[in-house]
Amino acid sequence: MIVKPEDRKLALTHEILMSIDKPSRYTGGEPNSVMKDPDKTKVRFVMCFPDVYEIGMSHLGIQILYGLFNSWDDVWCERVYSPWTDLDKIMRDRKIPLFSLESQSPVKDADFLGITIQYEMCYTNILQILDLSDIPFYSKDRTEADPIVIGGGPCVYNTEPIADFFDLFYIGEGEVRYRELIDLYEDCKKAGICREEFLKKATGIEGIYVPSLYDVTYDENNRFVSMKPKYDFVPAKVKKQLVKDMNEAFYPTAPVVPFIRATQDRAVIEVQRGCIRNCRFCQAGQIYKPVREKSVDYLLDHAKAILKNTGYEELSLSSLSTSDYSGLKRLLEELMDYCGQKKINISLPSLRIDAFSLDVMNKVQDIKKSSVTFAPEAGSQRMRNVINKGLTVENILNGAEMAFRGGWNKVKLYFMLGLPFEEKEDAEAIAVLCNEIAKVYFETVPKEQRQGSVQITASSSFFVPKPFTAFQWAPMNKPEEFLEKAKITKAAVRAQLNQKRISYHYHDCGTTIIEGVLARGDRRLSASIEYVYRHGAIFDAWTETFSYENWLKAFEETGVDYTDYIFRTRPDDEEFPWDFIDSGVRKEFLLREWKNASMAKKSSNCREQCMGCGCTEFGCGVCVE
Amino acid sequence: MTFRFKFSRRGPVRYLGHLDMMRYFQKVVMKAEVRAKYSEGFHPHQLMSFAYPLGVGMETDGDYMDLEMEDGNDPDEVMKALNSVMNEGVYISAVTVLREGAQNAMAAVTAATYELILECDDPIEGRLIIEKAVEEMLASDTIMADSKKSSKNIRPGIFELMVEPNADEQGIRLYMFLSSGSKLNVRPADLFNTLLTMPSVASAGSSFKMSLLRRLEIFGMTEDGKHVPLINPDVL
Repeated sequence: MIVKPEDRKLALTHEILMSIDKPSRYTGGEPNSVMKDPDKTKVRFVMCFPDVYEIGMSHLGIQILYGLFNSWDDVWCERVYSPWTDLDKIMRDRKIPLFSLESQSPVKDADFLGITIQYEMCYTNILQILDLSDIPFYSKDRTEADPIVIGGGPCVYNTEPIADFFDLFYIGEGEVRYRELIDLYEDCKKAGICREEFLKKATGIEGIYVPSLYDVTYDENNRFVSMKPKYDFVPAKVKKQLVKDMNEAFYPTAPVVPFIRATQDRAVIEVQRGCIRNCRFCQAGQIYKPVREKSVDYLLDHAKAILKNTGYEELSLSSLSTSDYSGLKRLLEELMDYCGQKKINISLPSLRIDAFSLDVMNKVQDIKKSSVTFAPEAGSQRMRNVINKGLTVENILNGAEMAFRGGWNKVKLYFMLGLPFEEKEDAEAIAVLCNEIAKVYFETVPKEQRQGSVQITASSSFFVPKPFTAFQWAPMNKPEEFLEKAKITKAAVRAQLNQKRISYHYHDCGTTIIEGVLARGDRRLSASIEYVYRHGAIFDAWTETFSYENWLKAFEETGVDYTDYIFRTRPDDEEFPWDFIDSGVRKEFLLREWKNASMAKKSSNCREQCMGCGCTEFGCGVCVE
Repeated sequence: MTFRFKFSRRGPVRYLGHLDMMRYFQKVVMKAEVRAKYSEGFHPHQLMSFAYPLGVGMETDGDYMDLEMEDGNDPDEVMKALNSVMNEGVYISAVTVLREGAQNAMAAVTAATYELILECDDPIEGRLIIEKAVEEMLASDTIMADSKKSSKNIRPGIFELMVEPNADEQGIRLYMFLSSGSKLNVRPADLFNTLLTMPSVASAGSSFKMSLLRRLEIFGMTEDGKHVPLINPDVL
């Protein structure tokens, strides 16, 4: 029998719920959450985002898979998020097992625990989830009583630091192969085939990677040498899965609507997947290749259905680079018309600033409050050529001038520091660019028309090289180098004529270093992650809970030279622990791009000219336009 | 025109705070596609207000929401439309149209009734202790309750307080009829905490836990000084 939401028995008592922050993080029952009769389903799949509810509920990928899985009668997909530190403590003290939001029953009883791995700094939270669920950390220690633990998301493009914690990984877009995997599971369950055999059979499904079925070797310097399948039937290369036609792919028109305000608290339509830009620092730009658009009509239908089914008063467009969507003009015009009548706001993603986007922003945003955003990523043109960010000073200054004429006086700018081949002058160039923008304001807007003055906010993050990018060979800056560069930028800002109009911030560098290690590390790091977790690390993505010293101690105690993963330039012929993944983008292409970067030589985007990255083999999207 | 809705909320959804509850109702209005009135300005919003914020963890059988509607809406149709998209333990049980110039719900509140379930290791003994404490409380003229900021005498605001038979033998059921609103606002949680400081509870050494708090009704006052539910024509 399906239990009505108001009659659901909660896993936590009234007393506990009243003693913690935001108890409705844990009570489920949100509009569009799905209740099913467990006796009428064959597979219970618990989907996890290993961070706090408000973050996890903002993630589109889980909403897609949740909707897809629950559209199948034999599967009940439920959700679980990381209990915040207040509840975490109570659950440990009172030995309360981690439960899913829908059925409020233990995660351990599920058939699958699927974990989406969106950023490296959530790795300790993965262990928290396993720990509170009473599931052994290591795949090798699990029994028939434990769920199959499967990972997906962008971090699977280097799974190795967490490989030992997972039974299998799904490489690529979830829409494609899950039905096959679940069918196999059901067949195995019915036939009484054990966990180990199921995992072996799962390697026959494209995109599935079972880490325990590979031998990894290291050389005398403790460096990764190779990874070889243990059996003939296990593929040496695992192929990324992707949706070929986005207009045919499942998209949830009745997503779960959180009661409490999530970080992204609005209806979302995904206009396209992938990006044409080939920015050399960007992992998403490579792993989601090739760009595949949805049709305007399909998007309009979905937008209307989602708004109707959720009651959201705000709609946003999602993609890596929405300005590149070819149907943007018509889509926005029709959406503005529809949403205007319904009193629904359109929240715009960071569009490239030009006459069109300013016109749209003017219509949907309150200029007094809003700002225009640029992401030059680097201050000097030479550095922008190194990273292949096709944005010129002229683009920025012209865009700013148009915005100032249109009544805006707030400008936000995003930069990175610590990029490969970066010099002192490049750090200073950030300040010069900010000053130029302020200058444009004073030249453009006559004194009597100035309402308040121009405000320029520049922030820089520290660069982390990622697998499957042109910078996978690049060394990272050391903490002192990062801070030195931030100081140079800061001092340069202060030296500008318009310095009072510019505020400059930079991110924490401890997190950056650890993220770098986890991004390009190998399997030996699982011991370090376990160590740091056992010594209290959790919610590392949150500044208030992150401890850099804890991590350094963990590397030391587990005998890992973390510096070797991040501070050296990797030789051109180095084998990487992620080379076994066939992402469609060839290593030779990335190496060519690495060489182009060293010469500050620009490359074209996928629409201008094919760069021959290898993705044409997928035969879809921009490659066949 | 302003519609006043009487609603209940039961089950897990009771752990929502007031603002989230409001956001929930806003979405329900959008989903139901009823023609609500919007404010002017750059970000138009629904004109919605509540009689009494519902605290986190509290159930209700009788809370009120006022909503400005465009002319020509039929109250029963609107109620039906809202209920058709409401599936989470929230339910609108009645609706009425306010007359022009009526006080808004929040300003009209003068009293509210509650039931509170207490749990105790020994319910029979516990029940006797609570009955005694209630007697002690009602016998005195001054009951000082400490809320977050100040201490005030809540005794004049306790209109009724009694231990009631509980069909579900699990707990001890307290019924309270308390003054609310701007004149003297007695919060049930403050009353409960004060009850636990009564001599008979303090000397007994048993511990009591609140396992349920439910508002039963919210009242306004008629011209001749009677408390009537906020949906009664005499307070509209």
